[in-house]
Amino acid sequence: MQPTDAAAAVPGAIRRTSLAISGKFVELWRARELLNQLVRKELKVRYKNSTLGFLWSMLTPVLMTVVFSVVFTQIVRIPLADFPAFFISGYLLWQFLQNSCQGAIHSIVGNGDLVKKVYFPREVLPLSHVFAQLIHLLLALLVLSPYLVYTRGFHVLLHLPTTLVAIGLLTVFASGLAMWFAGVNVVFRDLQELFVVIFQVWFYATPVIYPLALVRSQMGDRFAWVATVIEWNPTTWFVELFRLGLYGPVSATGDVVNPLIDGTPTWPDVASTLVAAGWAALMFLVGYVVFLRRARTFAKEV
Amino acid sequence: MSERRSIGQLAGAAPDPSQPAIVVDRVTEVFRLFHERPSGLKERLYRLRRSSYTEFNALEEVSFTIEHGESVAVIGPNGSGKSTLLKLLARILPPDAGTVLTNGRVASLLELGAGFHGDLTGRENIRLNGAILGLTGAEIAERFEEIVEFAGVRHLLDTAVRTYSSGLEVRLGFAVAVMVDPDILLVDEVLAVGDAEFQERSLERMRQFRDRGKTFVLVSHDLDAVRDMCDRAIVLDHGRVLFDGPVSEGVELYRQRVASVTAPPVDRVRGSRRVAIDEVSLLGPGGEPAVEILPSTPLTLRVRLRALEEVEVCSVGVVFSRGDGTHLYELHTTWQGVGVGPLSVGQEATVDVRFTAHLLAGQYAIACSVTDVSGREAWAVVADAARFTVAPAPGGAGLVDLSATTAVTEGPARRMEGTSRPIPLPRLQRRQAGG
Repeated sequence: MQPTDAAAAVPGAIRRTSLAISGKFVELWRARELLNQLVRKELKVRYKNSTLGFLWSMLTPVLMTVVFSVVFTQIVRIPLADFPAFFISGYLLWQFLQNSCQGAIHSIVGNGDLVKKVYFPREVLPLSHVFAQLIHLLLALLVLSPYLVYTRGFHVLLHLPTTLVAIGLLTVFASGLAMWFAGVNVVFRDLQELFVVIFQVWFYATPVIYPLALVRSQMGDRFAWVATVIEWNPTTWFVELFRLGLYGPVSATGDVVNPLIDGTPTWPDVASTLVAAGWAALMFLVGYVVFLRRARTFAKEV
Repeated sequence: MSERRSIGQLAGAAPDPSQPAIVVDRVTEVFRLFHERPSGLKERLYRLRRSSYTEFNALEEVSFTIEHGESVAVIGPNGSGKSTLLKLLARILPPDAGTVLTNGRVASLLELGAGFHGDLTGRENIRLNGAILGLTGAEIAERFEEIVEFAGVRHLLDTAVRTYSSGLEVRLGFAVAVMVDPDILLVDEVLAVGDAEFQERSLERMRQFRDRGKTFVLVSHDLDAVRDMCDRAIVLDHGRVLFDGPVSEGVELYRQRVASVTAPPVDRVRGSRRVAIDEVSLLGPGGEPAVEILPSTPLTLRVRLRALEEVEVCSVGVVFSRGDGTHLYELHTTWQGVGVGPLSVGQEATVDVRFTAHLLAGQYAIACSVTDVSGREAWAVVADAARFTVAPAPGGAGLVDLSATTAVTEGPARRMEGTSRPIPLPRLQRRQAGG
């Protein structure tokens, strides 16, 4: 091939790809009613015939908060004020990610009949789980906000935008990841078995039950890599951002008696917001491209 | 290179009238039949290099162009690639090679009520199903009343669909589906649902759609419906286009082809194969092959069989059934005290079954078998040995030709000029009676 051809081919290919993707976006936009209906279905079916309805979805976070609070304030001490508030301000976001992916991973395989018989942008199936979980998250926040305001002060309400930015970015991230899981699970069904393990490990690698500052200050040289792993873990950035708005910053003092100090909710710095946004964009793009490539042959494979 | 493009659909714009509605250009679709689908980690590791599957072409180099406003039937025997073709047009499957181009908004009725959820109410399911079929929220709201009216489910709107009868569920599915107002409608054998009255309304809806100058592609085995609804037929066989032209010629060709199936494909033969059925032919009164006959024509079914092993004695059986599978008549030679045999290996025998087809207009199929004398062991079976069609004729309407005659035994009578033809029992009702 002549060099001129190669030079001409590359921008063409990029243009075609970006055209294809923007076309997919237009299609997705046109399918928003379907997404809307699927989210409604998700929520309705879940609480049909149950008296307590939505309150059931509060059971897990509340119970987990109680358990971890007892463990980390009474048995193993993490010297932090308002540990339940600290925990819940990370766990809610984590639960959103995990439940989204858990629902999404079966969304293509479980809707085989639909996928084989009707054409629609397939990405609405995993995305519907993400948005249903997003609504759960917002409702849970609403229910728990009095407690957070009570323990952390009115700053929680004042810095609501911080929380919302974190939720927005994680929604983008979760969408990408959910599509990836849904798409790959069609050809690689072991993924759903590995899912529990992946998320178990990932949970502990994310500063949900412990503050990132504690890891940074307490890991000796031999275990410095642990702090590095946690810092390179994308979910760390979302949880930190989310917690900044709901609980406040946690920093290490270097003091042995009182190693940690917590502040009131505040605004995030631009750099960490950009890192979170970068992770979100990257995950979304990877998940979307992988999903779209796989989606072509879903009808043959489910 | 494979490509799948659609003009108009993405932008939601009206179709470009200067372009054809559908262009299918040298399309090949390959299916992999995995002997055991390797989808887990262990299986993948085991057969990293030797994935065991056979490929077959569901469609091979299929090309055709459909202009706006054409109504086209795709016909062919089972496994000829009809449904695969429809899925390609509906964008459910991408072509493995070739190009599929659709111009305008496409809606496909491949299954009714796809995505209905039993726990949701009728109201909720209408919205969900409409959205699945690509309607916007406003469009659904606008057509909601019409859908409810059409399906006749007003009193059950706020009841969970799980409690609906299956017929009602299908009606609701159809009602939503026909409210989609596409430029191109793809229909896969879904017309045969609901009761007769609902079917007539559904067909009427399809005709209206066609008459409004929209493009219509129908896959069906019901040749009457095909003739009624379409102008053009594409006959597929083993993934290739056998014929593409006027519907009457296409239907005729298909009938002849199906009727001339003689040698049974191996997979149709069950049981220990002690006998082979080499040929089954249906002959008219003059010994000519019978494909389309008039009611009460005397016919002969000639079965040629060959012993694959030493056979002491065997019985030849025939089963007549209507196009929809209704069992009409069965006869085994032993019931009449006739056995075939003894046959030495390779020895041939011919059995004639003579009968009069006391049947009225419709499609009929004959299955053929060779069994032991008790009828317990099947030595050779041809499920679809012969087919024939009884043409509509004056003299009676219904299912069975009772060859009735009438006479006015009391009171005045007069001879009519030109006999009035019988009102044919609507096709719908015939199918309804079977299903």
